[in-house]
Amino acid sequence: MRPLNLVAFLLFLWGAVWALTRSERSVREIQRTYYSWLSPFLTNGSKMETKARSFLEEVDRSEKLQAELDVLRTEFERLKQVEAHAAEVEAENVGMRRALNFQKRLNFKATPVQIIRRQPTTWWQTVDIDRGSLSPGEPIKDHQPVVADRGLVGKVDRVDKFSSSVVLLTDEACQVSVQVEGTPEVGILSGQRGQYEREPLLRLRFLSAKARISVGTRIFTTGLGGLFPPNILVGTIESVQPGPIDTEALVRPSVDFTDLSTVFLLPTVNQ
Amino acid sequence: MIRYTLSLLIMILLALVVQQFIPALTGLYNSRLLLLTLVFLCASVTVGPPVMLMLAFVCGFLWDAQNALGPPGGDLMGVYKFPAETLRFGYSIVLYGLIGYLMQGIQPLFREGKWQVSTFLVGVSIFVYLISEYLLINFVRGDFRFPLPTLYQIVFTSAFTMLFSPLVFWVQFHIAERCGYEIRFEGLKHKKKPRRTLI
Repeated sequence: MRPLNLVAFLLFLWGAVWALTRSERSVREIQRTYYSWLSPFLTNGSKMETKARSFLEEVDRSEKLQAELDVLRTEFERLKQVEAHAAEVEAENVGMRRALNFQKRLNFKATPVQIIRRQPTTWWQTVDIDRGSLSPGEPIKDHQPVVADRGLVGKVDRVDKFSSSVVLLTDEACQVSVQVEGTPEVGILSGQRGQYEREPLLRLRFLSAKARISVGTRIFTTGLGGLFPPNILVGTIESVQPGPIDTEALVRPSVDFTDLSTVFLLPTVNQ
Repeated sequence: MIRYTLSLLIMILLALVVQQFIPALTGLYNSRLLLLTLVFLCASVTVGPPVMLMLAFVCGFLWDAQNALGPPGGDLMGVYKFPAETLRFGYSIVLYGLIGYLMQGIQPLFREGKWQVSTFLVGVSIFVYLISEYLLINFVRGDFRFPLPTLYQIVFTSAFTMLFSPLVFWVQFHIAERCGYEIRFEGLKHKKKPRRTLI
């Protein structure tokens, strides 16, 4: 090997070792700097993509809009009545809670955010959202839970200045403590490697060996661990695999991950 | 040489930006065009080992800055003590160095004008890169799994990216020509055949 090549190789090795030994904090700082440089491109690209998509959708759906509008107007009137009733019930509920000195456990302060990029990496199941640390409104934090109208979506993985990354429930890295409805069974739910179907199945582990659960039973978060609030719907049991030590089950998520556009950020339980 | 290297660096940064807007083909097992890797591989066969290693470091560093997952947290802290590990920041630098050396191995053939071999090797290198990455994930997370769709994803990504390599080679030749850098691609030169003369 020529001396110059040897020196280059040694320098390369040193650089690789230096990068591999960075702390999580340094890595986050590097990623923050990287995405702050890239954010103008991402923002403009996302705006262009959104405009193009909305234009195409407008063309595609223009005929249905009027009919939908009529239906929505009727629905709106009905919901106004429901809302008035709900406000009355809530006021009554607050009064009764106060009377019982009941501790307020759940404070859903959901912040709506838009998904601007799907599946940006090769192996991780992630999406990017349009809210970052410098965005107006509530500050966004690492590991903040993300939900959609049908249930749990995932958690915030990385916060940049004007966007953030969300690791989806379908990724192995997003593990959630859950409970099977109507039973004392508690387990850990996570995504599976190499799932490519439109509706991937989740893996529910560490249920007791004698767990009596049936297909179609709903799964909810437990709230243990201090990240996800309790009682958020996650999915339904698809199949059960009893084992000698513990029982595993496959769960169909309640959220359609291929059709996400608006999701909601929730404060963590211990916040 | 310096101008050409700087041009390659700019090309890599541009590829990184464009990569942000290349979607995964969900109908083809989430396969995608890995533009950054493609530009690096095509560049690595046109330069010497020191420049190749420098490009490998830059590409690997930026790739990891873009893709690295954060540490596990939340529910796992209080409930489950064995979170799904993720790949360490910096592993891509080593993988890029590895596939860069793979490309360097056929540099003599490339300089002789057999660019088809290099094109094929781009596909092989990306295949090696993705397989290594996936095996590393299996290694750090345990519970070895290699479903057939994952193999399809790797094969389609490699093949799809390989198809674009002649285009990148063509761009790099033009850049080299403008920068006065000689790749010594013998296939493009007109060789003067010695005339036979009758004595």
